[in-house]
Amino acid sequence: MSLFFLRRLIQLIPTLAFILVVVFVLVRLLPGDPTSAILGDRALDADVARINHDLGLDRSIPVQFVLFLKAVATGNLGNSITLKLPVTTLIAQRLPVTVMLTVMAALMSLVMAVPLAFVAALRRDELADSAIRGTFQVGLSMPVFYLGLILLTVFGARLGWFPVGGYGDSFGEHIYHLFLPAFTLALSLAAILMRNLRAAIIGVVGAEYVVFARSKGIMPGVILMRHVLRSALISTVSLFGLSVGTLLGGAVITETVFAIPGAGRLMIDSIYGRDYPVVQGMTMALAVVVSLTFFLTDVVEAWLDPRVAR
Amino acid sequence: MTLSLRQIPRPLLLGGLLIGASLVLAVFPATFAPYDPVAMDYNALMHAPSWAHPMGTDNFGRDVLSRVIHAYTIDMQIAFFGTIFSFSFGIVIGALVGYAGGLADTIFGRIVDAVITFPFLVLVIAIVSVLGPGLVNMYVALAVVGWVFYARIIAAEVKVQKRLDYADAGRAMGYTPMRVIFRHLLPNAITPAIVYLVTDMALAILLGSSLGYLGLGAQPPTAEWGVQIADGKNFMTTGWWISVFPGVAIVLTGLGFSLIGDGLAEVLRTRK
Repeated sequence: MSLFFLRRLIQLIPTLAFILVVVFVLVRLLPGDPTSAILGDRALDADVARINHDLGLDRSIPVQFVLFLKAVATGNLGNSITLKLPVTTLIAQRLPVTVMLTVMAALMSLVMAVPLAFVAALRRDELADSAIRGTFQVGLSMPVFYLGLILLTVFGARLGWFPVGGYGDSFGEHIYHLFLPAFTLALSLAAILMRNLRAAIIGVVGAEYVVFARSKGIMPGVILMRHVLRSALISTVSLFGLSVGTLLGGAVITETVFAIPGAGRLMIDSIYGRDYPVVQGMTMALAVVVSLTFFLTDVVEAWLDPRVAR
Repeated sequence: MTLSLRQIPRPLLLGGLLIGASLVLAVFPATFAPYDPVAMDYNALMHAPSWAHPMGTDNFGRDVLSRVIHAYTIDMQIAFFGTIFSFSFGIVIGALVGYAGGLADTIFGRIVDAVITFPFLVLVIAIVSVLGPGLVNMYVALAVVGWVFYARIIAAEVKVQKRLDYADAGRAMGYTPMRVIFRHLLPNAITPAIVYLVTDMALAILLGSSLGYLGLGAQPPTAEWGVQIADGKNFMTTGWWISVFPGVAIVLTGLGFSLIGDGLAEVLRTRK
């Protein structure tokens, strides 16, 4: 197990290296030109030259890459053009908000998906099953910005149960402010988890060891908790890891809809403000979060099912 | 073997109906839309749904129903162009990688790892931000990221197919590898990629409307569902109909594509 942990930890290195390459390529090699994107079409030549020099864009591509790596290694991701702050500072301020939103959404989706998956699987093809699956199918086709807007209007503006934006000042307020956005985000993940978990439970319930346990007279509740849930959870954990990218992408939009000062909202604002270093830094930060989550879910999976670690 | 109407799985039938209707609206919007989608009527600002305007009018007096119908043209286009390039590049590269194996496969594996560590939407948004907002740049961004998923599906499938007897037979006949790959292996490997294509169309509509909402996709005054929802977002308490109806169109179309995807997968499973 500890060997697996170590091996998986080492595998993180090439992944992080690739993230750097992709982020670098994104800005330098695509046909768009960051400088004119920052300054607009009617920029003065002198300004273009100055910004090019500031961003190091007047060097050759390999030199730029080395400079980029050096800067990243020393924790320097450049400065925001509009906010005049180091990008690392902005990441430290904004990323925790996004991570908290995502974690809350992940927990909520589990709370929704697990019991409903059991109901759907054990009442297979009955009315309850169809109703649950139908609802989630519709939920899956609903874009987060639309669902968010409706929830915000109904529960925020109309009923006044929840704040219509912001993040609050204390931990309790954070949770209160993030409740609706996290629910918005949770629904589509819950749909995916529910579908997978339902299929997994149906598969496990028919398995020989469960039939055997039942024939020994073990109580159905105990069988469900000890055998069925555990083995159904393994595939859920790996699906969870794979979905984290989608969840973070959804968080970007949710933050925009609910005016939450997180990394995603800052990224979108930076696109409007043509604030290149911030877009680049946030893209990198979010990718790092995903790769760390892959790492964590792999470890949890190995812990639940020791065969994975071999 | 032909399927009688009763044998067609219900999801496929329902999805087919939804997408069929969407296609008709997308091709002949002017036939069904009662008004011009961009015509402003200052005598009918923010009117609630009525017989004259079944989905009401927006803050410029434009007929919401007509805008929703005309948006079918744009959003169905997004479903098509948002996926077809990924599909085409993906299956070609996937077939080559799957056949070649070895180093090509290793490099490809690394590329897949790199792409899946980026949240899909974030990467697409980042690319669009470099290229500039607009539908064409959005298609480029989707193709740059999306081909990987098709290539992965096809590569896995071709790896299995190339070991089968008919592939050996093709090679023994003296066919070139290209002919074996594209005339023999690919047609046998393509089904899962087509199922994924249909599901991906649902995702493309969700993503295209999200970018439209954020102002990075279709640009106003074009009638596009995401753009329409963004137009109405400040009037949710006074004129909910401006945003709510375009959203219903997104849900119905997305549902249509995913039902077809599920239905196709079901048909293929039972045939095996």
